[in-house]
Amino acid sequence: MSSHGERAPEAELGLLDATMIGMGAMIGAGIFVLTGLAAELSGPAAIFVFALNGVVTAFTGLSYAELASAIPKSGGGYAFVREVFADLQSFLMGWMLWFAYMIAGALYALGFAPNFLELLHVYGIVPPPGEVGAVALPVVDVGIPAGVGLAFSAVLLFVALNAVSTAASGSIETIFTATKVTILMVFVGFGVTSPMFTTAEFQPLFPGDKTAFSILPAMGLTFIAFEGYDLITTVTEEVKNPRENIPKAIFVSLAVTVVVYLLVVTVAIGTLGASGLAEAGEAGIAAAATEFMPTGLPVIKNGGAVIVFGAVFSTLTALNAVVIASSRVAFSMGREGQLLPRFGQIHHRFGTPFIAIVSSAIVMLGSVVLPTQSAGNMSSLFFLLSFVVVNGAVIKLRRERPNMRRPYEMPFYPLPPILGIVLNLVLTGVLISFLVRTDPLALILSAGWIILGVIAYVALDRRGGGESGEPTATAAAADHEPTPTDSERGAVTDED
Amino acid sequence: MKSKLDVIIAGGGRVGFQTAEILDDQGHDVSIIERDEDRCDDLSDAYLATVVEGDAANPDILEQADVERADVVAALTGETGVNLAACMAARELSPGTRTVCRIDRAASEAYTRFVDAVLFPERAGARVAANEIVGSDVRTLADVTGTLDIMQIRVEEGAPAAGRTLKEVRFPSGTLVISDDDGERIARPETTLDPGRQYVVAVEPEVVDEVLNLLRG
Repeated sequence: MSSHGERAPEAELGLLDATMIGMGAMIGAGIFVLTGLAAELSGPAAIFVFALNGVVTAFTGLSYAELASAIPKSGGGYAFVREVFADLQSFLMGWMLWFAYMIAGALYALGFAPNFLELLHVYGIVPPPGEVGAVALPVVDVGIPAGVGLAFSAVLLFVALNAVSTAASGSIETIFTATKVTILMVFVGFGVTSPMFTTAEFQPLFPGDKTAFSILPAMGLTFIAFEGYDLITTVTEEVKNPRENIPKAIFVSLAVTVVVYLLVVTVAIGTLGASGLAEAGEAGIAAAATEFMPTGLPVIKNGGAVIVFGAVFSTLTALNAVVIASSRVAFSMGREGQLLPRFGQIHHRFGTPFIAIVSSAIVMLGSVVLPTQSAGNMSSLFFLLSFVVVNGAVIKLRRERPNMRRPYEMPFYPLPPILGIVLNLVLTGVLISFLVRTDPLALILSAGWIILGVIAYVALDRRGGGESGEPTATAAAADHEPTPTDSERGAVTDED
Repeated sequence: MKSKLDVIIAGGGRVGFQTAEILDDQGHDVSIIERDEDRCDDLSDAYLATVVEGDAANPDILEQADVERADVVAALTGETGVNLAACMAARELSPGTRTVCRIDRAASEAYTRFVDAVLFPERAGARVAANEIVGSDVRTLADVTGTLDIMQIRVEEGAPAAGRTLKEVRFPSGTLVISDDDGERIARPETTLDPGRQYVVAVEPEVVDEVLNLLRG
């Protein structure tokens, strides 16, 4: 019939699908991987950490909703900022967001590993996670820690899948997310009714030397758990009636996610205690579950296995989502001429943005050697910064283009974006000062990425100008662009 | 060359809207300037383009549509005077921008001194009308297809599919490469997509951007 092989185009997404895409990204690894680490930083007050992050992020959610309704483009935060800001600023936005997603990928892979070991342990295949030693590689004379090896393999698997076939459709994402939420609700149900919870001890909220301020670094660390609505806005063009459904999907997914987080964290702290949770680290929720879930069940043997399976499943689906998200950012940057054009091309046989996926994978694979906490910190840092720019974009757009149509206008403008900028900057500051003290490596790598970005930008600018003989319309227009506003300048210079 | 154009369309009426729809399918970025408020609501609902409400001949409104970054400004309102004013204002604000002006009479050459290209929709319409009146059973394709696009595409050097045979390229379904290079033969699996050559391709609107990505990069 036809002289060439074919691929089917993707389906249209409804409100439910769009909401589930957002929730799927948020209720992924954030809750399973970072709860333990948050408890370590802030004790039982970890409950407030997730609640307050929900509040902070809600302001940015309003900005995303307004931008998504006014700018009919897929591509998320980068696409919006590209529309509003000059070349360098929008390039840096894309560059930061790309990195944030890649590092999030590493984080989810790192969260997957201990949970997977815990799952094997539940079935008695391996000793408890703490006792699994390094896997000695016969060829190279070094032992690779089992966790890193597993994380590396997980990334490799999902990159390979996404590189050769077009992305899983929204309906699959809906099933994934529903599964995750159901498992968490089972966890909450058993937890609340367990004898451990009835004697739960939430006092003191701030044990030892911890104060109310110790929740701030924990907020910075776990901020990544709320990055989901950028993902919703990367698929806007595939959503039915996006003008109405995108803002709705943003608010619904955020609200449901916050509720789920609060229930889960409360139960986890109530049953395992903040210190127990902190000890279990990335496998905190799974460890809590094995404490109180019924045992001796047929087939699955151990009720805790369900939750551990949930953790494995969640980290993997979240990993898959960010592999797609990171490559989409690189792809749209390539389309815009802000990365080499190759990044913006689809592969002739696979029909996927092959170069964008493979290059994202290289950074992700390199990052799985990082400690989980460093990965969380770096990813959160870049999401915070890019959210500052998104809020700035709303203000700049309202001031400079008052006649632009905004089918959704946020209430109480300009309060939400200003609060969004201030609160995100406060968290950024806290996170940076926390990193200066505890994790200078993460800070150096972050600064290095920005510097690398500026070099890439300059190199690309030269190449673009020299090759075509005449400057492109975009390059010519850059000279006339207004100078950056104060909010962006803050975003660009704040990392050092 | 940039594979994606930033286009400003002045006038979101029938001509402007249809044009925006086609450009959006091809993956370009479109902004529409429209004076009528109700029409703006319809345009927003269609979710094709950013919409600026106002008079396209007003430089302030043109600036709000980001004329400095635009590759092309197409003034497609029903009034030649407004279109001409919008194009000239665009040239003034952003000298590198290509301008396309819709006119309402056939004396097109007179305007090309001020704009890069002129458009007289009635003439295109007249061709279709003539086709209909003659009512022949066989017609040239451009005028009679519904939503299907039949396009002549020049393969760009360095595009993903450039230099490959049709066998090697998996196009999205809803695509049919019809002619061999320069339209001499019907395409076959071993037909090579040579850079610089033109091919006739039938494409359903929802995959046009993907097909263009493969052939143009």
